[in-house]
Amino acid sequence: MRPSPHTILAGCLIGALVLPVLRPAALPAQASRPAAPAHRTIAIDERLAEATGLAVGDTVRLAAVAGATGELARIAAITRRGADPSEVARNEYKVRLHLDHLQALTGSGDRVGRFAVRSRIDGTADPADAPDRLADAINQVAFGFRAYPARAVAVETSSTFRVVNRFHRAIGVITIVASAIFLLCITLLKVDERRRDVGALRLIGCSRATVLRAIVLEATLVALAGSLLGAVLGWGASSIVNWYYQGVYQTPLRFTLVTPGIVAFAVGLSLVLGVVSGLVAGRRLVRTAPLTLVGR
Amino acid sequence: MITRLALAALLRRRARTALTIAGVAVAAAMLLDMVMLGSGMRESFRGFIDQQGFQLRLTPRGTMPFDSEATVGGAAALVSALRADPDVARVGPVLGGKHFIATDSGMVAGFLLGIDPAAQGDYQLEEGRDLASADEMVVSAAWLAATGRRLGDTVRVAGGYDPQLRRTTGERLVRVVGRGRFQMLAATDRAAAVPLAIAQAMGGADRADRVSVLLVETRAGADAEALARRIELGEPRLTALSTEAALKFVDERLGYFRQLAFILASVSLAVGFLLVTTLVTVSVNERIGEIAVMRAIGVARARIVAQIVLEGVALSVTGATLGLGLGLVTARWLNGILATFPGLPAAFDFFRFEPIAAVRALGLLVVCGIAAGIWPAWRAATLPIATTLREEAVA
Repeated sequence: MRPSPHTILAGCLIGALVLPVLRPAALPAQASRPAAPAHRTIAIDERLAEATGLAVGDTVRLAAVAGATGELARIAAITRRGADPSEVARNEYKVRLHLDHLQALTGSGDRVGRFAVRSRIDGTADPADAPDRLADAINQVAFGFRAYPARAVAVETSSTFRVVNRFHRAIGVITIVASAIFLLCITLLKVDERRRDVGALRLIGCSRATVLRAIVLEATLVALAGSLLGAVLGWGASSIVNWYYQGVYQTPLRFTLVTPGIVAFAVGLSLVLGVVSGLVAGRRLVRTAPLTLVGR
Repeated sequence: MITRLALAALLRRRARTALTIAGVAVAAAMLLDMVMLGSGMRESFRGFIDQQGFQLRLTPRGTMPFDSEATVGGAAALVSALRADPDVARVGPVLGGKHFIATDSGMVAGFLLGIDPAAQGDYQLEEGRDLASADEMVVSAAWLAATGRRLGDTVRVAGGYDPQLRRTTGERLVRVVGRGRFQMLAATDRAAAVPLAIAQAMGGADRADRVSVLLVETRAGADAEALARRIELGEPRLTALSTEAALKFVDERLGYFRQLAFILASVSLAVGFLLVTTLVTVSVNERIGEIAVMRAIGVARARIVAQIVLEGVALSVTGATLGLGLGLVTARWLNGILATFPGLPAAFDFFRFEPIAAVRALGLLVVCGIAAGIWPAWRAATLPIATTLREEAVA
C-alpha cells in the first residue's frame, strides 16, 4: 500500500530491546561529541532518563537480546508519556528508534507490527464516520491484515479502565448509602435536640405544617451548605489525587475529574437526602404531643 | 445494673439507635471490604506462586516472567548448571509463545507453553492425563471450546502463521491427552502445554535451545535470596526473582488498590467513630439531669462512665457484627466486578477473607466505639451536681 496525498502512513514495529551499557562515561566518543561516529539516533522516555541518568547526546549500546553485542546509538530526544490509560500501570521503559533501525536491529527485515493511518476528513459528508468507512474500504481489499478505527482500538485498550470505573461506581453506591444513613441520623439527633423548642412553638400556636416546613427548610439549608463544602473538598481532594498519581505513574493522565455534572449530581443528591431526612425527623416530632415535647 | 441502664438508654430512642447501628454496620462493612482488598490481591498472588512450588523464577535480564517476548539461549546448559547447584532441588524450564490451529471457521491462535512435565507448575490437570511422550499436549477448557476438539483427538499445531501468505510454520501433529487449569492465565485464554523440546522445535531456529523462564525449587533449608544473588552473579543474562520480589512487583502494579483501600478504610473508621460519638454525646446531654440525680444519690463516677462507655461499645459491637455479614456480601459483589479484568487468572481474588485481619479491623472499630464514649462519659460524670440539678429543675 503506497501513501496517497490523502493518507499518512506511519509504520510501527514493537520489539524488546536491551540497553546493556547505560553509562556513557566509558565511551571515548563522549569526550569529543562533535567528532563522534554517526551513530543512529534514538529517543528514550522520561522515566528511563530519570532512572538511569541518561541525557540527550549520550551514547548507549542497544541490543535486541540480552548478552548480544548490539550497536551504539545516540540519544537525540527524551519523550514524555502521552495520556494513555493502557500504559499507566506498566512500568516498562520505552525506547523509540527509526523503523528501519529497529528492523535491522531485531532482524525483522521489511516487516512492521502495525500501520497508523490518518484519514482525510475534509469534503466528506460525515467526518465522524470517515475512519469507519476507510477501515471498511481497507478490509475489503486487505490481504493478511485488518484495519480498525481508532475508536475501536481505544475501546479495546480501555477495557481495564471500564472495570475500574464500574468498581468506583460500586464504591460510590456504598458511600451514598453510608452518607444517607449518616445524614438521617444527624438530622434526627439535631431535631430531637430541639424537642422543647418545638414543643414551645406548638404551644404558642404554630401549626404542625409550619413547624415541619421550618425543620425541612433547616435540613435543606444544612444539606446545601454541606454539599457545597463537600464539592470544594472534593475538588481539593481531586487535585491532590491527580498530583500524586501523575507523579507516581509519570503521566499527564488525569485520574479524577470534578465536572459540573458531578457537582450537580452530588448537590442534588444531598438536597434530596436532606429534605427526606428532615421530613422523616420532623414528622416524628410534630406528631408528638406538645406537652410531652416540653417534658410535662 | 450498669448493663441494664445502658440498654435502657439505647432503647429509649429506638429509631436513632437503629440508625446509628445501621451507620456503624455500613462503616464496618466498608472497613472489612477495604481490609480484604488491601491484603487479598497479595495473598491471592502468593497462593498462586506457592501452589507452583518454585521459590525462584529466572528470566532474561531485566524482564518479568512473560512480560515480554524475551528469551534466553543455551537453555540446556543453564538447566544442567542449575541442577548441579547443591541448593537447587528442581528446575523447570518454560518457553512461552503462540500456536495456531486450523478450524472450520478459520485459524485459532492460542498461548503455547513448552515445559518439562516432571517439573512444571503452570497448570493443574483437571481431566485426562499428563504429558508422557513427545507429541502430546495438555490444553485449557477455552482451547477445547474454541477449536471444537476433544481429549484423545490428534491435531495439527503450528508454531507460526503468516497471514499474508496464509501459510503456517513449525507444524506438528500432537495428541490432546489432558485438560488443565492454567493457573496464571485467564479462564478465557486458549492455552496449550507441550514438552519443551517440541515447543522449541515448533519455533524454528529462533527458538532452538531457548527458554522464557526457568522455575527453580530450592532444597529445604536453603536461602532462596542468597541463591538468587549467586545465580545473578554467575549468569549476568538472568534476573533471579524470588517470591518476595515477585510480590513486591505485584504490590507496585496494584498499588492503586492498596492505597484506595487504606484511604477508604480510614474514612470508614472515622465515620463509625463520629457516629458513635455524636449519638452518645447527644444521649448524655439529654440525660444530664438524670446523671446528676444518680451522682446525688451516691452512684460513683466510675460506674456512670462505665455505663456510658458501655452504650458506645454496644453500638459498635452490634454494628460491627452486622457489618461483618454485610461486608462479606458487598466484598463478593465488588470481587465479581474486578474479576472481569481482562487477562486476570480465573481463581484470582481481589477480596480475600482472612479471619485474623477481619477480627483486627472490626476490633479497631469497637476500640473506636469505646474511645467515642469516653469523652462524653467523663464530661457527664464530672458535672457539678448541685448546679446541674438546679439548671435542670429551672428548665
